[in-house]
Amino acid sequence: MRWAKRGFLAAAVLAAASAQAHHSFAMFDHVNRVTLSGTVTQFQWTNPHVFIELDVPDGSGSIKHYSIECASPNVLQRIGWKFTDVKKGDKITLLINPLRNGAAGGMLETATLADGRVMSDGNPPGGTFAR
Amino acid sequence: MKTTRRLMLGAAAVAAVMAASLAEPAGAAGTTPDFSGAWGAYPGPRGGPPDPKLAAPAATPLLLKAKYKAPYEELRARQIESDKRGEPLSNASTACLPTGMPGMMFAIYPIEFIQSDKQVTIIAEAMSQVRRVYLDKPQLKIEEVPPGYYGHSVGKWEGDTLVIDTVGVKETVLGNRDMPHSDQMRIQERIRLVGADVLHDQITIVDPVVLEKPYTYTNAYRRMPGYEMLEYVCENNRDYIDENGVTRMRLQSQ
Repeated sequence: MRWAKRGFLAAAVLAAASAQAHHSFAMFDHVNRVTLSGTVTQFQWTNPHVFIELDVPDGSGSIKHYSIECASPNVLQRIGWKFTDVKKGDKITLLINPLRNGAAGGMLETATLADGRVMSDGNPPGGTFAR
Repeated sequence: MKTTRRLMLGAAAVAAVMAASLAEPAGAAGTTPDFSGAWGAYPGPRGGPPDPKLAAPAATPLLLKAKYKAPYEELRARQIESDKRGEPLSNASTACLPTGMPGMMFAIYPIEFIQSDKQVTIIAEAMSQVRRVYLDKPQLKIEEVPPGYYGHSVGKWEGDTLVIDTVGVKETVLGNRDMPHSDQMRIQERIRLVGADVLHDQITIVDPVVLEKPYTYTNAYRRMPGYEMLEYVCENNRDYIDENGVTRMRLQSQ
């Protein structure tokens, strides 16, 4: 279940419960993480996932656009995010798990916001997540 | 004389009230327990290691009849293989469909109990799911219940335990670990406090068509005092299924 993931994987594994957890992670590369620095074009505080739309300069004068999936607003709010934490035009840096098919998207691991705060996506600490 | 009679009537009324209250279902402290409020999965993602006395006990073996066992094992193998490839198979959640029963009681996000004498209402934050457990009604025959996501639930208090019987869950609404079920499935739940702030829902799936034996597992929850349940509308679903049945993510750059 895509909406049932991050932050809850640990609980899901412990509870040995339902099918509700895993396959959604499989789309992303949890080993070869990537850091993206760019400018926010949209911050979508929506279910089933929050999305950060980011323009990233490639160093040679052009821009590549990325769609970064975060946990749900429910998970993010419970770990301290606010819907106002990211705004269009913010310069931010994201550590992501890129899509394994090479497309310009991924799943958030941590975000360094415009005000310098480093926010998690709700994964268990220590990089133990699904690796 | 009049005064005496009045006093006697008064005493009789008090005795009647006391007798009535004694006849009510008794919880651990002599009253029906109060499950009202929000509960999250125990111990939860940041809850640390569970107290073994409060953790959910292990599930019983899932024993499917031969006709259902092979397709189920084949599905599980395909799921694992697809995930390894990075191309997860679609399922109900890919289409933003709710978990239904018994999946919603897993409490992937918090659940809330609202309790009255006649009804216990349970709300799951994930997908804003609602189920109603009627305490003052008899159960319907299975064939009288239009198949749905939550079925028809009736309950009663047995001491400190809320005992619920549910029938009428659609066959496409898969159970724990994606287990299949027939239209003859009954979900039997026993919900009780195992500590001041930890609740267990012991769930037994009885299905004479699909299961060799009833399958029992337990969900454990921790109390979340003061927590305000959030809304959940699946409005921005970027998942889509490609021509090979694989789940993909829609990107703005595409």
